[in-house]
Amino acid sequence: MQQRLDRWIERSSRGLAARTSRRGFLGSFGQALTGVALLPLLPVDRSSRAEAAEPAATAAGPAGQAAKPAAKASTGDPNSCDYWKYCAIDGYLCACCGGSSSSCPPGTQPSPITWIGTCHNPVDGRDYIVSYNDCCGKASCGACQCVRNEGEKPMYRLSLNNDVNWCMANENPNYHCSVSVLLGVAEK
Amino acid sequence: MSRAGSARALRRRAAWSALLLAAAGVAGLAGMSRTAGAAGAPPLPAEHLEVAKLPPWSPHWAYLYDNSFANETDSRLYLYDGDAHRMLGQYEIGYYPAMAISPDHKTTAVATTYWSRGGHGTRTDVIEYEDNATLTVRGELVLPPKRAQTTAITNFGLSYSSDQRFLYLANLSPAASLSIIDVARNAIVGDIDTDGCVLVMPSGKRRVSALCENGRLLTITHDDAGAETARSVSQPFFSVDRDPIFVQSAPTPTGVVHVSFLGDVYAIDLSGAEPRFAPPWPTVTPQERGHWRPGGQQVVAYHARSGRLYLPMHRGGEGSHKDGATEIWVFDANTHKRLARWPVNAAKYGGVIAVLATQDERPLLFAATERSALFVIDAMSGRLQHVEARLGQTLWSMMNP
Repeated sequence: MQQRLDRWIERSSRGLAARTSRRGFLGSFGQALTGVALLPLLPVDRSSRAEAAEPAATAAGPAGQAAKPAAKASTGDPNSCDYWKYCAIDGYLCACCGGSSSSCPPGTQPSPITWIGTCHNPVDGRDYIVSYNDCCGKASCGACQCVRNEGEKPMYRLSLNNDVNWCMANENPNYHCSVSVLLGVAEK
Repeated sequence: MSRAGSARALRRRAAWSALLLAAAGVAGLAGMSRTAGAAGAPPLPAEHLEVAKLPPWSPHWAYLYDNSFANETDSRLYLYDGDAHRMLGQYEIGYYPAMAISPDHKTTAVATTYWSRGGHGTRTDVIEYEDNATLTVRGELVLPPKRAQTTAITNFGLSYSSDQRFLYLANLSPAASLSIIDVARNAIVGDIDTDGCVLVMPSGKRRVSALCENGRLLTITHDDAGAETARSVSQPFFSVDRDPIFVQSAPTPTGVVHVSFLGDVYAIDLSGAEPRFAPPWPTVTPQERGHWRPGGQQVVAYHARSGRLYLPMHRGGEGSHKDGATEIWVFDANTHKRLARWPVNAAKYGGVIAVLATQDERPLLFAATERSALFVIDAMSGRLQHVEARLGQTLWSMMNP
């Protein structure tokens, strides 16, 4: 029953993500709450992951030093702030902290609520809806600080804001790092 | 341990202490006699360890907020003297704090979060009342665990009513609400749903406004018991989609002044029963629009006596609204004329991400950079008076104490 429910939620959420643009996506706060509540239930479709064919990790940036995206977006290194999926991350990359671009490090808990971005994949030329979950329960990872804000809005537009602590609803709201989880292709 | 055993242990410790002091004294005297003899000068007097007292308040002081981004559970607030160019002291302010200085300047209220075991264990949200004369905590109020936690520090995560009777606290769980705290009773007396609107911008004694996601301003009036008595919602006064305003603003004598991502200035008069919105005006020419932008963490400073506005500006496009500035632009807020462009050495110290003006007749402009350097600038002439190459870890915001 739980699996059927999860599959139904996955189809519904991916359909919703695919049918909506960034500006229209979860536009109101009420819709955002409904939408984001579904996100952590999504089973991950690993076959669609761009990083499956990516090279191994590269050196992490020093703590406290903001990494700026290079002029040309990186297509393949999830340990680099340039990586295309990170277009609106403001925080530490979980890939440098024991997790990956879409998994939390051991011993942390993913945030059940999140902010949403649309990032362009230069490899296949598609725009993807991305869920930026925080990983919570330990103090700041401190490695690979990444500040990118494409489409980011101030906190009154909560579903597009990366300044608030998205660990806020966790049992332990201590922010550790951020991931970028693909939800689906954004249809134009 | 028995009382007799405890007394023996104390005697032993006292004996060891005396021995160590004597040894240190002999060594010290021996050392001094060599140098004093060589110079022929009298020996230095003995020193007495004591705790420094704060000098009298100066308008050239600033509170510097250090988020401590690599270890955010340990945020700090440094008290810095812009004339003596030195740190005077420090508050420890926990995790994603919100801060408010009381109208009489005697207290800094800090709403923050601690855990019982460093970064885990039992969570406690609390308002701590810091005594600005001694830099010590002199009281607290434990809060329900729902206050807004954000890296975007504004003057309005926590704020005082003008008569100092109430504190307003912004909550986000992620449901948005505001708590009203009776300061004298040290108790939460009101908890008001803000319909998704955020921040607590006080005006007058019993009124508080919040920014809404559709570009409107929600204003709530309450009574002395903390109960809501009226609420109104303004017409949209900016476009969230086309050109959102930063939540970080600067206080003015009648309200606040915001800037937008593209550099328009939005002054809001909160002195009346209903907010009044001045027509927005641009800080960039049509040719510069979209290419030069304000950016950072504290993106506008205002000096009330001269009506000068200060904006950290950078060259950048969409998504660059947190980038550091290579120049500080100065405007007359009355005539809307650009008075100056002050380049900063961003290559050496990092771009400017926060600006604060002191409010006296000979104002200073403090400018903090993305590498946690601090510039002290004559706010009238632009002359760079001092640079702290590195102060703390991540200076993201500043306040007039």
